[in-house]
Amino acid sequence: MSYINDDYVENYDTYAYNGSLEYDPHSGEPHTETDYDRQSYNIPDMVKKFLTYFRNCISEGLLFEIQNLYESSFPKLTEQYFEKKPWPDETDIAYLVDEDSVFLILYKELYFRHIYARVSGCPTIEQRFNSFYNYCDLFNYILDADQPVPLELPDQWLWELVDEFVYQFQSFAQYRARIQKKTPEELEKLHTQSKVWNVLCVLNVLHSLVDKSKIKRQLEVYASGGDPDSVAGDFGRHSLYKMLGYFSLVGLLRLHSLLGDYYQAIKVLENIELNKKSQYSHVPACQISTSYYVGFAYMMMRRYSDAIRTFSSILLYIQRTKQLFQSRTYQNDQINKQTEQMYHLLAICLVLHPQCIDESIHQVLREKNYHEKMYKMQYGELSEFETCFIFACPKFLSPAPPPLDATGDYDYVKEATKRQTQVFMDEVRQQKMLPTIRSYLKLYTTLPLSKLATFMGPGPSQNDSRDLKEEIEALIIHLLCFKHKMKNVVWTRGTSGLEGKFQSGSELDFYIDHEMIHIADTKVAHRYGDFFIRKILKFEDLNRKLRMIKI
Amino acid sequence: MAEAMRQTVAKMLTGIERYNPDNLQTLESYVEYQSRENTYDLEANLAVLKLYQFNPLRYNSNITCQILLKALTNFPHTDFVLCKCLLSEKHLADPQIGHIMYLADILESCDFQQFWTRVHSMPELCSQITGFHDSIRKFVCHVVGITFQTVDRIVLAKLLGGVDDQTLKHWVKKYGWREEDNGMVFIANQDENIKTKNITEKIDFENAAAIMAASH
Repeated sequence: MSYINDDYVENYDTYAYNGSLEYDPHSGEPHTETDYDRQSYNIPDMVKKFLTYFRNCISEGLLFEIQNLYESSFPKLTEQYFEKKPWPDETDIAYLVDEDSVFLILYKELYFRHIYARVSGCPTIEQRFNSFYNYCDLFNYILDADQPVPLELPDQWLWELVDEFVYQFQSFAQYRARIQKKTPEELEKLHTQSKVWNVLCVLNVLHSLVDKSKIKRQLEVYASGGDPDSVAGDFGRHSLYKMLGYFSLVGLLRLHSLLGDYYQAIKVLENIELNKKSQYSHVPACQISTSYYVGFAYMMMRRYSDAIRTFSSILLYIQRTKQLFQSRTYQNDQINKQTEQMYHLLAICLVLHPQCIDESIHQVLREKNYHEKMYKMQYGELSEFETCFIFACPKFLSPAPPPLDATGDYDYVKEATKRQTQVFMDEVRQQKMLPTIRSYLKLYTTLPLSKLATFMGPGPSQNDSRDLKEEIEALIIHLLCFKHKMKNVVWTRGTSGLEGKFQSGSELDFYIDHEMIHIADTKVAHRYGDFFIRKILKFEDLNRKLRMIKI
Repeated sequence: MAEAMRQTVAKMLTGIERYNPDNLQTLESYVEYQSRENTYDLEANLAVLKLYQFNPLRYNSNITCQILLKALTNFPHTDFVLCKCLLSEKHLADPQIGHIMYLADILESCDFQQFWTRVHSMPELCSQITGFHDSIRKFVCHVVGITFQTVDRIVLAKLLGGVDDQTLKHWVKKYGWREEDNGMVFIANQDENIKTKNITEKIDFENAAAIMAASH
């Protein structure tokens, strides 16, 4: 499709010829060698049976069964036999599945994913490279076909596949940036094989999946109430392609965010309405991840209202479906971490842009001591902003590798995060006076400029020669800034998250007439009705169920 | 001519073409075009910065400065912040970029007098952007328009960059404001927009009906 396609396919060919040689786990570490030897002769029977059955289900397209095996059997067996070590090498199990190449690619996807997630220590450079080649095999198989491939996989798997693909790229970029601990051989390999985990490659895959499935057009038609199948084309109608296309959009959202391109991040989600139940939104982890990145992008664009709205709705959803994320899997770990991060981001947004939110979320903020953090931020403690931001932000990357002549002392890993933190903290610093002004204005309906200037100026013990006129001038600057910062773009309608109108988000508003500030406040009465109605209905429901129980 | 260029550029921004470094030359000359002709295309400019991010050896300081200055002209939109996020530590060490960052900082803080002093002290920087000063004045008027009901003429002139009487009259007329006799300028009747609101809770009958029906 483009100039890049050739490059990674070219690499694939190279790999194929050296296949058996390159994929040699005798990496020189003695104890992993013996582990490997022991493993290859001792695959448990249960695992053998599972693999054969798994492969049969996949070749026969028994979707429900595949889902079961993927979501329960595989994790159970992992926990039982492979908790801290890799699954058997593909060469050892190939005979169990008749050397089925498609199955082996899918198997290796799970094999590597497990290594990244659970096997202790970081993946070796060979493992990283081999995982990349495996993805190339998989995407080549899916994308190069003239007709849709006869493969059906559950949505959960497809989402995790795309998510993992972006994650492994992220992991590699961070690994590559840590030049201090590299051996000369590793550095050499990184330099000569520069196409592996290249950012353009990853982008190419995601864009190709999006284009092949015509998912953008499908979403456009779906959003306007039409039938997406009518524009989907042969590939797009097939569930595998359609869902890979959709999840690739989310993959792009994530990738753009990791590189600091918030505009493209939101643009990519055109025609996707976040909290609407649609035929595409069945995987909770996908919805949560999407909301996290969208909310974060909005926050960086100073669209606090939109960020708060995004975070609130997904956090409400998570509250209601808490039980789904209790079991200990690495996917749930990610969901729970993102939830906590979103609470942090919401706290930051509410400090910068006070707004009414759902009572149940307020309750969580109270219970989990976020109010303490918010209090510190409101009183101008910049370090608290920074701490919260660093905890909650994505693990940013820079797309280009460190230069060849780079020395060990510069920390390339931390650079990208430092940059984004800097941009955010600049914004916070510019808004530093706002909470103070707000707290004074809340107390009055009219207030002369001179009086407020005296409140806010330095105390009488300090430099008295600074005259009132100067203080009023300084105050006017702060007041102009208040108005400017509180009037941001808010999405009201339209298919693109980038659209919106400038709206004043402040509940507390004012204007200056002659030398007087006129203040208007919005008093919102506590909303109890909705909460009570929900609880009453729930209680009724419980009562009814109780009566039906026969002891 | 402008339309044709915009369309050529638009094609370069779709899908994977966006990341093709061969497009850089056209996109860079498009930036210069915008600077000269006082047009603006955020997406194209962000694409240039992104290509610099992916291809650090192609980085061009002069083009980057122009992009940042153009972003300043689109205040109150947060285009400048978006651009900042695509620059690296190394780029920021450049003194020219440092100056522009400082300008953005004071402009965001609405310290307009300080801003104009700074701008007047380095005319070469902003002279490459046609209509720079007027774009900034548009922003100043935007903020003034939402903050004041009446404002002192002299204060307004200072905020606009120490403009002379005639220029001041021009801006006042442009925004439909009114000069009054006592040396004040009337902006708008803010009272209509800024009023104390009391939001009370409304419970729909349908919601309550379910409970009332069930209470037997």
